[in-house]
Amino acid sequence: MRRRRNLVIGALLCLLFIAAAVVSFVWTPFDVVALDIANKLKKPGGAHWFGTDHFGRDILSMIMVGARTSIAVALVAVGIGMVLGVPLGLFAAAKRGTLIDELIMRGNDLIFAFPALLIAILITAVLGPSAINAIIAIGIFNIPVFARLTRAAALSLWERDYILSARVAGKSKLRISAEHILPNLLNLLIVQGTIQFSLGVLAEAGLSYVGLGAQPPTPSWGRMLAESQTMFSFAPHLAIFPGLAIVFTVLGLNLFGDGLRDYFDPRLRHNRHDESPEAIVKDQQSVNDEQGVS
Amino acid sequence: MSLLTVQDLRVSIGGKSILTDIDLSVEAGKVLGIVGESGSGKSMTAYSIMRLLPDGSEQNGKVILDGTELTSLSEEQMCQVRGRRIGMVFQEPMTALNPLHTIGDQIAETVKIHTNTSRSEARRITLDTLRRVELPPEEFPPSRYPHELSGGQRQRVVIAMAIALRPQLLIADEPTTALDVTTQAQLLHLLKRLVDDDQMGLVLISHDLAVIASTADDIAVMRNGVVVESGSTDVVFNHMQHPYTRELMKASGHVPQKLASTAEVTSPLLVVKDLVRDYKVARKGVFDKVSFFRAVDEVSFTIYRGENVGLVGESGCGKSTLTRAILGLEDIQSGSVSLDGEFVIANEVMSLSSRRKMQVVFQDPYGSFNPRHTVGRLVAEPLHALAIQPDRRARERAVHEVLARVGLQASDGEKYIHEFSGGQRQRIAIARALINRPSLIILDEAVSALDVSIRAQILDLLVELAASDDIAYLFISHDLSVVRSFTDRVLVMKDGRIVEEGETETVFRSPSHPYTKSLIAAAPTPPKVAH
Repeated sequence: MRRRRNLVIGALLCLLFIAAAVVSFVWTPFDVVALDIANKLKKPGGAHWFGTDHFGRDILSMIMVGARTSIAVALVAVGIGMVLGVPLGLFAAAKRGTLIDELIMRGNDLIFAFPALLIAILITAVLGPSAINAIIAIGIFNIPVFARLTRAAALSLWERDYILSARVAGKSKLRISAEHILPNLLNLLIVQGTIQFSLGVLAEAGLSYVGLGAQPPTPSWGRMLAESQTMFSFAPHLAIFPGLAIVFTVLGLNLFGDGLRDYFDPRLRHNRHDESPEAIVKDQQSVNDEQGVS
Repeated sequence: MSLLTVQDLRVSIGGKSILTDIDLSVEAGKVLGIVGESGSGKSMTAYSIMRLLPDGSEQNGKVILDGTELTSLSEEQMCQVRGRRIGMVFQEPMTALNPLHTIGDQIAETVKIHTNTSRSEARRITLDTLRRVELPPEEFPPSRYPHELSGGQRQRVVIAMAIALRPQLLIADEPTTALDVTTQAQLLHLLKRLVDDDQMGLVLISHDLAVIASTADDIAVMRNGVVVESGSTDVVFNHMQHPYTRELMKASGHVPQKLASTAEVTSPLLVVKDLVRDYKVARKGVFDKVSFFRAVDEVSFTIYRGENVGLVGESGCGKSTLTRAILGLEDIQSGSVSLDGEFVIANEVMSLSSRRKMQVVFQDPYGSFNPRHTVGRLVAEPLHALAIQPDRRARERAVHEVLARVGLQASDGEKYIHEFSGGQRQRIAIARALINRPSLIILDEAVSALDVSIRAQILDLLVELAASDDIAYLFISHDLSVVRSFTDRVLVMKDGRIVEEGETETVFRSPSHPYTKSLIAAAPTPPKVAH
C-alpha cells in the first residue's frame, strides 16, 4: 500500500511541474521579460504570489518558465547518459576482462577525470553558450556514471545461476544482457536516474551561474538561485521559491522512481498466500539486497 | 531442576501464530536436539529464548534459565544475558564474522562488552578460548583475519565468541549445515567436548536427523510450530509415537525405487578425457610472475547412456569447475569433453544441437531463476537451442506438457517464480532441464537445499524421468547417503583429481582410497529405524 502511495504522490508532483512548464508556453501570470522596477523585491502576497525579484519580475512566472529549461536540461542529460552509458556498461560486462572492456572503461575514466565544468567550458568554447550545449555537457558527464554502475552490477548478475542456465541454453552474451541482465538492473538504474536528474538540475544551475547555460533573459531555476545570492539577507524569497521548486521536483521524481521500481518488480506485485514464511523472507531479502535497504 | 525450561511458549507474528505450546527443557551438560523441516519453527524457538524475535511479534509463556524468568527481564537486562549467559552460533560462518576485524578482536569484544576486564586479561581469555575451540594460538594467532581461515576454522571462531564467557547455555542453529562432512564431524565432536568440559547446556538445531541422532541426548521433533514428539534420543528413535516422526525418518533414509531403463548402458554418452583447467592466480605485485592454480587436474571419466553417476567431494575440490567445463562454459587448458561423439567447446560457436542434449539443475532454488520472467518463459528458455524455433502455440504446449510431467499445473506457467515453494521451484528447474529432451542432466547439489520429505519426492521424480526418457544423470553432492541411494556408479574427487571410481555399493562397502575412507567414516549415520 505504502509503495502504491509513493507512486501516486511522486507522479502528482512530477505532473504539477510538467504542467507548469507546459502552461508557461501559452500563459504566465506576468511577462517574465518585462521589467517593472517600481514593483521590485516585493514580498510574496497580493498579485505576486511568490513576490518579485530585483527587476520587478514575477517569481511565479519565472519558476514556470524556468521549469522548461531546468527539467528539459536535466531529463535530456540523464537520457543521454543512460542511452549511451547503459549499453556500454552491459557490453563491457559481457566482454569482461577483454581488450574491449578495458578500452570502454578506461575511456570512461578519461571523461571522469575531467571536471564537468571543464568539459562544459570546452564545449561552449567550440559551440557557444546555450541551453542545448549545457545539455550536451551534462549528458556526456552522465555517461561514465551509468556505464560504471551498469558494469559493476551486471558483473555480479553474471554470476547468478539463472545466467548460467541461459548460457547452457546456448544464448549469446549480448542476448543474455538484454533479456536477463538489463531487466534486473532496472531497480538500480531508476534510482541512479533520479539522483542524476537532481544533480542535472544543480549542474545546469552551476553552468548558468558562470554564464554557460541558458542565456538571460531566459529564466532557469539555477540562475534564479545564483542571482538571489547577494540579496538573500533582505529578500530570502528570491532563493526559497526556486529552491523549493528544485526540492519538490527531485522529491517527486524520487518517489515516482521508487514507486516505478516496485511496480516493475513482480516479487512485490502479487499477493502471496500458501507459502512458507522462509520463502517470503528470502525473497524479501533478495529484494532488499538489490535495493540497498538493510 | 533443568538449566533451561520453556513452558507453554507461544509466538505470533502480525497475528499469525508461529509457535504453539512449546515445552522444552535442557539439562546442564546435555544436548537437546531440535529437528524439523523448514518452516517448522525451530529457529523461531531459538530466537524467542534469546528474545530476538522480529518486530511485530508477540511472545507468551515462560522461559526460565537457571531460576531467572527471561520473559520478565527488561531489554537492558536481557542484553546482559545474551552473550554472557546464553551464547549463540549461527549457520553461515562466512557472514557471521566481520571481515575487517581480527579474530582476536572479535572474541575479545564479547568479553569487553560484558565485563570490566583489562586489555591483558581480555587477551588472556581470548587466547584461552582459542585453545578451547582447538585453534592453538601458536598456529592461529589472534591477529589473523577471517579470510585467512577455512570455513570450519571460522565456525570455530564463531563458537569461541559464543563461549568466551563460559555461558550456561549455547544455542547452535544449524552450525554445521554449510560445512563439509569431515569438518562437520570435527565440529560436532568439539561441541560435544565443550558441553562436557563446561557442563554447559546445548540446544542444537538441525534439519539433519543423522546429525541430531549422533549428537543429542534429548530430542524434540517440530512441525508447523508444534513439538510433535520429544524425549531422550534413544526412546524417540526406538519407540516413535507420532506418525510425522516416522514419516521424517522414512524420508531421510529414502531409497528411490530404481526402474529398469530401456537404454543400452554400454554406449558412451559423455566422455571426459584428461581435462585440465587452470586459473590465473592474482599477482601480488606488478612484477610477480603469473602463477596458475590447477582446479581440475587431468580428469577422465565416461558416462554411459541412461546411467546415474555420482560425483562426491568436499568444497574446493573442483566439482563446480568440472561441471562448468563439461557444460562448455569454461575454457579448458588441455584434454577434451565430448557428448554423443561431438566435442564440447567453450564458446558461442558450440553447436546448439549438443547444447540441447545437456542440461543442468542447480542447488539454490532461490537463485536459479530470473525473478522478472514468468515461469512459462523461464521453462521455455532452453528451446532457444532448437534448430527450428517453435511458434508460440508449440512453445506453450511444450511448457504445459513439461510442467505436467514434473507435477505442476499448466496454469503455473503464468505465475512468477516467487509464488512457489523451494520444492516447487526445484520441480520448475527440472522442467526447464527437461523441455529439450536432453540425454544428460547435471544435478549440481540439486536436492541439497531441500527438506527430507521434498527431497524424497524429487528423487523419485528424477528416477521416474530417467527411466521414461533415457536420461543419464551426473549427480554432484556432498551428501553421501543420497549419493549412495541414488547413483549406480560414483566418482570421488579431491584436489582436482578423481581419486576413486567404481560401482556405488562397492565403493561405499569397501573404499580403497584413504580419502574415500575418511569421507565415509565422517558422514553421520542415519539412526536405525525400529519397526
